[in-house]
Amino acid sequence: MEIVIALGLGLLAACGLYLVLRPTSFSVALGLTLLSYAVNVLIFLGGRLGATAPPLALPDAEGLADPLPQALVLTAIVIGFGMTAYLVGVALRAKGESGSDRVDGGGGA
Amino acid sequence: MSEHVLILLIAVPYLGAALVPLVARSSRSAAAWSAAAVMAACLTLLAPLAHEVFVGRTIIARITWLPEWGLDLAFRIDGLGLLMAMLILGIGLLIVLYAAYYMPQEDRLGRFYGILLAFAGAMLGIVLSENVLLMLVFWEMTSLASFLLVAYKYEAHDARIAARMALAVTGGGGLALLAGLLMLGNMAGSYDLSVILLRGNTIRADPHYPIMLVLILLGAFTKSAQFPFHFWLPNAMAAPTPVSAYLHSATMVKAGVFLLARLYPALSGTDLWLLLVGTTGAVTFAYGAYVALLKHDFKGLLAYSTVSHLGLITLMFGLDTPMSAVAGVFHLINHAIFKASLFMAAGIIDHECGTRDMRRINGLYKYMPRTAVLGILAASSMAGVPLLNGFLSKEMFFTETVGHPAFSGYAQWVLPAFATVAGMLSVAYSARFVHDVFFNGEPIDLPRHPHEPPGWMRLPVEILVTLVLLVGFLPQVVVGSILYVAANAVLQTAPPPFHLAVWHGFNLPLVMSLVAFGLGLLHYWRRHHLFALHERFGLPLSSPVAFERVYRDAGRASTWLLARIDDGSVTRYLALTIAFVLGLGAWAWTSTGIPSRSLAGPLPSTPADAASLAALVTLAVGALGTVYFHTQRLAALVFMSVVGLVVVLTFIRLQAPDLALTQISVEVVSIVLLLLALRFLPGRSTDDSPPALKLRDGVLAGLGGLGFAALAYAMLTRPFETISGYHIANSVPGGGGTNVVNVILVDFRGFDTMGEIAVLAMAALGLHALLDDLRLRPYAASATDLADRHPIMLAELMRPLLPLALAVSAYIFLRGHNLPGGGFIAGLIAAVALILQYIANGLDYAARRMRYDYVRVLGAGLAIAAATGLASWAFGRPFLTSAHGYVHPPLIEKFEIASAMAFDLGVFLVVVGSVLLVLAELGALSRREQPPPRAKEG
Amino acid sequence: MSHLPILPFIVPLVAAIVLLLGHGRGIVFERTLSTIAIVFSMLLAALLLVTASDGAVRVYRLGDWPAPFGIVLVLDRLAAVMVAVTAALAVPVVLVARQGIDTQSRHFHVFLQLQLAGLYGAFLTGDLFNLFVFFEILLLASYALLAHGRDAPRAKATLGYVVLNLLGSALFLVALALIYGTLGTLNMADSGARLATVAAADAPLVRTAFALLAAVFLLKAALLPLGFWLPQTYAAASLPVAMLFVVMTKVGIYALLRVVTSGLSEAAATADLLEPWLSWLAIGTIGIGAIGMLAARRLTLVAANLVLVSSGTLLLGVAAASVTSIAALLTYLVHTTIVTAALFLIADIIAERRGALRDTIEKGPHLGEIKIIGTAYLLLAVAASGAPPLSGFLAKLMVMQSLTATPHAWASWMALLVAGLVTALVLARAASAYFWEPGRADGATAMAAHASRADMTRPLALPLILLLVTALALVPLAAPLSAYTRATAAQLEQRQTYRDAVLGNATIERERRP
Repeated sequence: MEIVIALGLGLLAACGLYLVLRPTSFSVALGLTLLSYAVNVLIFLGGRLGATAPPLALPDAEGLADPLPQALVLTAIVIGFGMTAYLVGVALRAKGESGSDRVDGGGGA
Repeated sequence: MSEHVLILLIAVPYLGAALVPLVARSSRSAAAWSAAAVMAACLTLLAPLAHEVFVGRTIIARITWLPEWGLDLAFRIDGLGLLMAMLILGIGLLIVLYAAYYMPQEDRLGRFYGILLAFAGAMLGIVLSENVLLMLVFWEMTSLASFLLVAYKYEAHDARIAARMALAVTGGGGLALLAGLLMLGNMAGSYDLSVILLRGNTIRADPHYPIMLVLILLGAFTKSAQFPFHFWLPNAMAAPTPVSAYLHSATMVKAGVFLLARLYPALSGTDLWLLLVGTTGAVTFAYGAYVALLKHDFKGLLAYSTVSHLGLITLMFGLDTPMSAVAGVFHLINHAIFKASLFMAAGIIDHECGTRDMRRINGLYKYMPRTAVLGILAASSMAGVPLLNGFLSKEMFFTETVGHPAFSGYAQWVLPAFATVAGMLSVAYSARFVHDVFFNGEPIDLPRHPHEPPGWMRLPVEILVTLVLLVGFLPQVVVGSILYVAANAVLQTAPPPFHLAVWHGFNLPLVMSLVAFGLGLLHYWRRHHLFALHERFGLPLSSPVAFERVYRDAGRASTWLLARIDDGSVTRYLALTIAFVLGLGAWAWTSTGIPSRSLAGPLPSTPADAASLAALVTLAVGALGTVYFHTQRLAALVFMSVVGLVVVLTFIRLQAPDLALTQISVEVVSIVLLLLALRFLPGRSTDDSPPALKLRDGVLAGLGGLGFAALAYAMLTRPFETISGYHIANSVPGGGGTNVVNVILVDFRGFDTMGEIAVLAMAALGLHALLDDLRLRPYAASATDLADRHPIMLAELMRPLLPLALAVSAYIFLRGHNLPGGGFIAGLIAAVALILQYIANGLDYAARRMRYDYVRVLGAGLAIAAATGLASWAFGRPFLTSAHGYVHPPLIEKFEIASAMAFDLGVFLVVVGSVLLVLAELGALSRREQPPPRAKEG
Repeated sequence: MSHLPILPFIVPLVAAIVLLLGHGRGIVFERTLSTIAIVFSMLLAALLLVTASDGAVRVYRLGDWPAPFGIVLVLDRLAAVMVAVTAALAVPVVLVARQGIDTQSRHFHVFLQLQLAGLYGAFLTGDLFNLFVFFEILLLASYALLAHGRDAPRAKATLGYVVLNLLGSALFLVALALIYGTLGTLNMADSGARLATVAAADAPLVRTAFALLAAVFLLKAALLPLGFWLPQTYAAASLPVAMLFVVMTKVGIYALLRVVTSGLSEAAATADLLEPWLSWLAIGTIGIGAIGMLAARRLTLVAANLVLVSSGTLLLGVAAASVTSIAALLTYLVHTTIVTAALFLIADIIAERRGALRDTIEKGPHLGEIKIIGTAYLLLAVAASGAPPLSGFLAKLMVMQSLTATPHAWASWMALLVAGLVTALVLARAASAYFWEPGRADGATAMAAHASRADMTRPLALPLILLLVTALALVPLAAPLSAYTRATAAQLEQRQTYRDAVLGNATIERERRP
């Protein structure tokens, strides 16, 4: 199981990184999204596998999942969403200003 | 008492520098007189100190400043300091008066005297510092002041560049000096001269002594224009003559040799010293003298003669015998006197003739006999003619060259021979100055008709030349005592007994002088061959043009280099960052000092079931599909949402319902966002990056993926101890909710949530600001403009669905504290429901029905959240303390829910407001671009 | 109980909320509110500085939960210094922004306030994940501020800056995931303490986790291979934003310093995690900055490269991580922040007077009355190039002395001195072009210049004078400042006091998973 998950995450990260390095802003956005999937799951896994119940503090609850990473991931997801949205906006703006949606050469004035 | 006088002495010139410019506004002469007054005041302040010094005291005044960094406002005055201070102030006073007549009448002189006084203050600081770091402070200040003075006539191209050249050389030298002095301080264990001068042996024994010496000498040599750093000095002649007369004869260039004298006890006495200082001095002495003869501009001649004499003084200290050091100090005095007078005389001639070219200026004796006499006397002193002060110190030098301990056998003749030759050269250029300028036929078409200057302008020269004579005739009486105390201060012991006299009998040094004279005159007479030779002999770096070229080339080189490494492409920055992180991570993992570096931890691996394998496959399809289709945007989106779904399922599988709910709703919203954005991007893009680049990216990505997988695996297979048990335990009693995740979000770590909604709000506001007035042409061809295509079925279905969806959202919200749900998820669901309206009915329909000010909704959300946090202050509790803690038992349930819910409500509003604001903006963007119907017809 | 530690965050947050609720009330309302909030924050920062000077570590438990379970804010000398520097810079920034730049696009003051809130929060928080949240706040605000205004290169620069930082944020989360996944805590003090207990088998993982964390901070600090984005980005920003961004690199440096001093250096697992390479890369950063200055064709770019140089200098201090080096770097930080911001400001003032030429370093129209600007430029140039007698020299002297003991003292000194000389020469060349070279009788340019002189220069004089006075005041105040920073560095050495203050002495129950 661990190996399966690790492989999955590695694949996600690899695809994300590759897309992040593409020349157009849309691909970069895709890449960052894939990357954030991988990252969020990684944070979540900080609580490890093997939980048998969701983190609900009900009486006689056993094998609860670690709630802390879940809370962190929630925050991370929302922040990531905000960032993606903003990235889209900036990409559109750059497109509008310069007519191109490329990021390479974007750092220069 | 005298301590205060000393500090006052340093302060006065700066006060003057600040005040004189103000005085200058009223009148020019007032400026001149006040500047003179400042110098005079300093001289009077010097008098009581001089008395103390002559009775053999060294006065040290200290104001502690940054003791732990070794920098204190510590000043000292001893023989050497006194001597230098007298030169700086005495000559300074004369310069001030001289400048009043020399400088053009239209110049108010405020700026001039201001900088000049500041410079004088800095010079005083150098020679009167006890703390060597403080000395460096003043040292660099002189560089700065001279930069401003040389560039005084900044309309002139050469002046501007010469100033920067001087700054580059002397400033750069100063930095080397800083490093050197820091080392010196570390070796001596103190930055105070009184300590350093006693620790000579410790310092010389230090392994780093050579480096330190070189660094300090770099400082001294650049300042004193020693070969090969001399070139800035002749160019600095672009400065007004009073400046040259002051800085480039008597003061600033003397700072270098002063430093040699000052640190003599600490640094000298090694072969390295003899080698470096001696050789540099000797080369400069000869080279300067040689070039001086070749200069047609008499100011240039004087500049090189200064270079030469500075070399001579350096050489004297380099010879490293007590007596030669005395001679060095003596020549320092003499040179200051005759060279200052020469420069001022030259200034008069320049002033009167309007040119400085000795090929045109001839026979001035006829036109300005008095000035001529002065000039001739000063020049003769420079040449070392007996009965003038220059002669005496030169004789002393010759004496020292004879039988110098460092040389033996026939080599003993090397030094005297060299001295004679160099002496010959100085005779030659002095002869040229005298003969060309004052005799040698008639002047050739001068711009002006030369005649005697006003007496006041000549007075300073007369005073100095009188000194030249006085010292020449009665050396012992005039300078004997000051020279003694100065030499005493230099050597830090009683100097060897010396008697200054005009006549020492007929001895070898005298012979050397005579020979030098004969040959010198001969050399001058045969000079024309040399001139021809010199035409083909240009020195690199020596001209302003060359300096500017070097500077430009440095700029070009940097541009070129930067262009190589930094092409301004973000993609490259990203690649660099990824590569750096990979390298760093790999290094960090492997560089642990611990042997066991196995990836897998102790935990037994749990078997993978079919479901998870299937998930992996789906994930792979989704991810790889996204990569494969990333140029076809819509397809890419579809594949990416597959990945999103797998993630959601993973969360469900691994007991994280809240995450699953959040993720799925975020999915929907982001997909819609991207779809709306896609309207304005071409449906397909081209990935035109060359194969090599794709390979690079592939490799980076692959390694990154591997690293990620490795870290995840390493973590998963290791047990750990977490604090989260506390959260589970306290969720109900402390947080009043069974859904621990939600309680963490709104209570344990509510502060994170506070920040997070701020981020979300800002993202929306940011888009608002970005897209506000943006005009974009949508790609009509793109298959993705579903933003305003809306099938009736969907529309009919959706409208009734809205209330339902909102009800669900409300339910999710309410149960959030105890069961999966909460503000975020509820907010997102509500948002999704509203988005569906957009999709189903088109942006116009929706926008028409939803005329809320989303910005205010956002603000309200943030306000509610913040207010809930602040409310707890009323109960003397920290920000965000949940309510249930402080109400009496019967109300617990009610209140604690109220508090948490209020916060969550804020979250809810921010989420809804943000999402809708974003969508409204994107929608508006689309609407703005729909061409008005009439446009189509017409 | 005292809410002082959280006030620096609350004030701008509330200001931002009020701005949002009252949006549409017109720019005067926004400016007034924003200015008041910023001035108030500055007074508050002064209060923090004074309060922290007693050497006590003040802990503010959010939600009244004990650390490490809840989030705590920690007010110590270091936090106070950073907050104070930022708050002091914010005043001229808002004064500049008021001159019309803030109307170029929406919500400027909201973002400005939230930017400050994010910065203050980042300096004060004692929790690693909360630090991440504040990083996101200040980053998103900085994106919006950078994009502020209508300008194609600016939009491009923003896109790049955003993408790069999003990657950084992802990396930050990876590091946090691993840190929580190994140490089981997020509190800085707790994690610092836990580091010492890491088992040998887990050492590589923990070490890597912190290496990634360091990489995130170094990306913000623009260390050599990660810093190429900075000059163009800063040069593309609008004036007030460029001035404010001077502290952005300092955030990365602060965070690194905080983590290093929280126990990184002493734990076996993470010992010498930074030192083999950080110093050399810092020296390289200084070098690149110097090269960039030589290559720069605009004064704004020179200032931007100066940011790189100061980043490198500061990181040298972090790498050395001795009491003296930290004291020196903090003093330098105060100096460089003020002076570099002032340089951006004067570059813009000059640009406004040169019409179309802007601040390109070539001869242009006469600047008109240059007494004040010329003097200001001279003083700033002296301070920026680290020449005596101004703050630049004192700070450089301290840094150099504090590095004496380090193995690469040579290279460091060389880099610092050469960079100083280059700065001096470049600024001298620029001065020659702006002030000395005979003006070009270009009608249009001159016209434009004249037009702008009236409306631009006078209002910008106040912020310029503010910054200038602060910069000059650093000389007479050098002794107290150095005393404060020394005490700060000493306090950072007292790890146990810090931990006791944050964690108390109750034993923290931990649960083993799985």
